[in-house]
Amino acid sequence: MTASRTRAARRPAVRPWLGIAARLGLAAVWLLAGGAKVDDLAASGRAVNAYQVMPYDLATVIGAALPFVELALGVLLLVGLATRVVAGVSAALLLVFVTGIASAWSRGLAIDCGCFGSGGQLAAGQAPSYLPEILRDLGFLVLAGFLLIWPRTPFSVDGWLAGEAPVEDVDE
Amino acid sequence: MSSRKGRKNAAQVVRAQIAREKRRTRTIWTSVAAVAVLVIAGLIGWAVYSSQKSETFTTPPGANPPGTAIVLGQGPVTVDLYEDYLCPVCKQFQQTSGETLNQLISEGKIRVNFHPVAFLNRFSTTEYSTRSSAAAGCAAQGGKFKEFTDQLFARQPAEGSAGLSDDELIDIGAGVGLNRDDFGSCVNDGKYKGWTEHVTDDASKSGVTGTPTIRVNGKDVADRSPEGIRAAVEAAGK
Repeated sequence: MTASRTRAARRPAVRPWLGIAARLGLAAVWLLAGGAKVDDLAASGRAVNAYQVMPYDLATVIGAALPFVELALGVLLLVGLATRVVAGVSAALLLVFVTGIASAWSRGLAIDCGCFGSGGQLAAGQAPSYLPEILRDLGFLVLAGFLLIWPRTPFSVDGWLAGEAPVEDVDE
Repeated sequence: MSSRKGRKNAAQVVRAQIAREKRRTRTIWTSVAAVAVLVIAGLIGWAVYSSQKSETFTTPPGANPPGTAIVLGQGPVTVDLYEDYLCPVCKQFQQTSGETLNQLISEGKIRVNFHPVAFLNRFSTTEYSTRSSAAAGCAAQGGKFKEFTDQLFARQPAEGSAGLSDDELIDIGAGVGLNRDDFGSCVNDGKYKGWTEHVTDDASKSGVTGTPTIRVNGKDVADRSPEGIRAAVEAAGK
């Protein structure tokens, strides 16, 4: 056995565990983000409205729907159903968030991103922290990207439906 | 020998093809199911929000024409205050600049539109922001909005707590001279909760994203000190 073959053989053994870490990590992000907002949907709407990118009435509808969609994404990732599609939707949503924050930043708005449910308002005298927020979302985007490329992870409904050994690496 | 091997290969190819086909069908259906779950989740959110929203509201006496604030004073310069009774910085603002506002009102220079918004419901376990704002509507009904507001800031509960109970709010109201029975039933019925929602929605629509927000003749005032307020009012009065 050559050195390169051992490396190739070792990598697929690590990847599933990275995969499940990414899947559960991203699931936790969505569950926390959705859970923090779901008990005050009006505040969630105000947080969306604070970005000033859409009419107020649309912002309230998006703000009300978003926490539930986030929770659903979290649950789907937790059980590992349709991981690639869910990772794709997650990545798209995160890109929207990053774009929104960047645009708020460039327009000089002073808001909180409202990502984990603070209603979009900053405490007085508190400076917005756009850069950390964007970097954090980019970190989440990496998790989503990993799952988009390698969606098959151990202990997932996808794997169970396929009736395959969890470690088998099939690109679907 | 070679033909048997060929048949075996062909069977393998067919099997692999069938497996691929099955996999494809499975992927399509799980994807459809996942997307359906997401869409339904979004619709549930919308439905829940719509059911929470109150359709009608009663505006308390003493409000401005659009019913989004209680008016104090009759001066030519309009000062809009957007405050949440749970907001600690609002309390600070009232302590440092409240007296200046009172003076400007009594000098006849300003009229204050006080918007008791409920931005911070998530920071109490009992929706204190909404309850206190609605109770302030009841106080306006009894003609003691200002006195009640001052007392609420003086006795402001901590963020994250249960806030003051309805009974405590009623006690405070009675303490500033409101009729205990009328005020009490108004608070207990939540008569002005719909109005609070209206006030809060309007604030958000007007681009208010935090409390306190102070606007003099529609312009945001960044310097909330007594001098800053006075300067902004002087400038607007010219």
